[in-house]
Amino acid sequence: MSGSQRLPRIGVIGNPNSGKSTVFNHLTGLRQKTGNFPGVTVDIKEGNLRLPGGGEVTLVDFPGTYSLYPTSSDEKLVSAVLSDQKNEFFPDAVVYIADVNHLEKHLLLLTQLLDLQLPLVLALNMADMADELGIKVNVSRLSEKLGIPVVFVSGRTGDNMNRLVSEIEKLIPAIGNISRKAFFDMDATEKQVAEAVRLNLGENNPYRALQLAHHFEWLPFLNESDRATLATIVQTKNFVSLRAQVEETLARYDLFTPIVEDAIQQPQQFPDTPTDRIDAVLTHRIGGPFVFIAVMLVIFQAIFDWSAYPMDWIDNGFAELNTWLQQTLPDHWTTELLTDGILAGLAGILVFVPQITLLFLLITILEEVGYMARVVFLFDRIMRRFGMNGRSVVALIGGSACAVPAIMSSRTIGNWKERLITVLVTPFISCSARIPVYLVLIGMAVPRVRIGGIIGAQTLVFGAMYALGVAAALFAGWTLKRYLKTREPSFLAIELPVYRMPDWKNVGLTVWEKVSAFIIGAGKIILIVSIALWALSRFGPGDAIERAATKAQEEAAAAGLGEAETEDLTAQKKLEASWAGQMGKAFEPVIRPLGYDWKIGIGLLTSFAAREVFTGTLAILYNMGSSEADINDRSENEAKATLREKMQRETFSDTGQPVYTFATALSLLVFYALAMQCMSTLAVVRRETGSWKWALWQFISMTGLAWLAAWLVQIIFA
Amino acid sequence: MQRRYRSIPDLKIHETARALSFSDAALACKLTSMGFLPGARVEMVRQSPFGNAFYVKVDGVRMALRREEAASILLEI
Repeated sequence: MSGSQRLPRIGVIGNPNSGKSTVFNHLTGLRQKTGNFPGVTVDIKEGNLRLPGGGEVTLVDFPGTYSLYPTSSDEKLVSAVLSDQKNEFFPDAVVYIADVNHLEKHLLLLTQLLDLQLPLVLALNMADMADELGIKVNVSRLSEKLGIPVVFVSGRTGDNMNRLVSEIEKLIPAIGNISRKAFFDMDATEKQVAEAVRLNLGENNPYRALQLAHHFEWLPFLNESDRATLATIVQTKNFVSLRAQVEETLARYDLFTPIVEDAIQQPQQFPDTPTDRIDAVLTHRIGGPFVFIAVMLVIFQAIFDWSAYPMDWIDNGFAELNTWLQQTLPDHWTTELLTDGILAGLAGILVFVPQITLLFLLITILEEVGYMARVVFLFDRIMRRFGMNGRSVVALIGGSACAVPAIMSSRTIGNWKERLITVLVTPFISCSARIPVYLVLIGMAVPRVRIGGIIGAQTLVFGAMYALGVAAALFAGWTLKRYLKTREPSFLAIELPVYRMPDWKNVGLTVWEKVSAFIIGAGKIILIVSIALWALSRFGPGDAIERAATKAQEEAAAAGLGEAETEDLTAQKKLEASWAGQMGKAFEPVIRPLGYDWKIGIGLLTSFAAREVFTGTLAILYNMGSSEADINDRSENEAKATLREKMQRETFSDTGQPVYTFATALSLLVFYALAMQCMSTLAVVRRETGSWKWALWQFISMTGLAWLAAWLVQIIFA
Repeated sequence: MQRRYRSIPDLKIHETARALSFSDAALACKLTSMGFLPGARVEMVRQSPFGNAFYVKVDGVRMALRREEAASILLEI
């Protein structure tokens, strides 16, 4: 907090499906930051809010949870923060968001927060929907009974948000001096436990002390001696956590249900709503899976087809900018750094933006309308066969955009084994970074013909690459299921929310947040690799490059080559002598069995940082082996075809055989589909699993499998 | 021996019954915190495509449960 005084922190807390994020987004807009990518260990969103009186507070968006008794790791995070007053996210006060249409189910957590003696305001959300359903709330009675301010709001329409903000402002003076009567009366055992925790650990709030006794086994901030003390307390007082949790929960319901019934008037009947009619189709025993396949095909179409246009614009734009810069700027190595290093890297990042935006957009919409919960219900059985959970489908679908946020979405899976398997196999799903590699290689290996006059052969192979990824993920899950053991219970139990039109502002913000995290997180790596690669191929050990150039010119003169050909040969030999050339050559024996030469070797090596670098790498490598005139004169269409043509002309320097045979291109495709080539993913796997062990294991097994499969392809098709 | 109780998997489609108690403590903890309480009216809506899960309505709130989970919820006869 760089010297300045810490702003008051207001936690935004509520159940899943309470519309909590919508309210948070409404209050903070674009002024939010998330720690989502490598290096940042924070998983909570924050945003600042200006108050009418001139002050400012930081709003902290907590994951949705039903209770302080968690069953999944994102729920555990809420309990962990609220049990630890020293945690940097510990809220000074709380805005509690509840869906007014299900108030009788949404107040459990609120009453727990009351007992933590936090200043609170209750925001009754989805007021717009309550109006439609004819639900009426006596706000002042509810406020009086609960002893906290209550505001009716709508996160969607933004109604009453200024009232909520002024209530937040009124909470600030109350920070630190709340003392209410406990909402829930602890029984004798609980009281003894809380008292013992107070005496031994100095936790003065009885309910928070009780929380420590419930969760001491996993709370991350406890040290070993605290843990041992708590274990002894729990044992000597005969405290049975699970039973106490259920009894407390039921006691709380008994206390707040009358309050809700007194303050709310709602129609007694649950009418046959549109949700029931939609679900009759979407969750139908036979129809449901077909609708799912159709939805996936639309997503596939979107990434394959619709995003091709903006990608072409970006591609061409950069090509033109590059040409213009090369013609305008002086012929110096700094110009090369700019065009072949920095611009090539930027193009490599930005070319993904259309695809990843479209993917995140479609996936966010599916989540917002409530479809993802249905997918969980439909596929739970199948996923369990492969060691996962219905919730894993959400991660796997997300993996088609980018494995990093997809892996983070696995936090909703409660069972450790199912979650770990999901984390480990998600990177097999073909992410958008593989698409450009697929496009170049498929364009080279597969003819542009239509099979049976309907479906393009190239489209078919493209689809097969996705199928290969899914098959590999399921196969890996099935294998891991045999070797991993856990005694933790596995739950499906999931709420299927009412279908709603997506809140577009919320969708926009979510997509923006994910896309910008991708650009910044992955983009950094791509740009660095691109610049490093340029330098490695531009410079070499000692005067090796100069000597190679002289030698090439002598050879060319001896063979009587023309000017353009001489230049080609010189560039080729210079590259071979560069640091990158040396690295590629050293690496060649490992990949020669797969039919790859040292240039592909450099491509592979650099791809291990991020696979999207591959096309850029080859473009840099092959551009260097060609003459200036060629680059400057080519028209737009030629420009696109050039990389592919150059690759097709490549031959092995020792045997003279062409490098890119059909078998090699196919084998490379398989390699890219299966290999683990993404530093961001490895970093997030380490973070989510808590150790490098699994990240390393994943890297070795995925890449080993990729090598084997690529080798088999080469043998079969060569 | 005839069973003395029924559980959710015994419900026919669109049949409704009142939940009495939960026989699995960990699941009871999760379900009660989600608002599924003893005394709730449970309606069977449909089975999942692969038969291992149920789509139910609990006091009008839609929920998906696995067969084992559903079987641990005892119903009024």
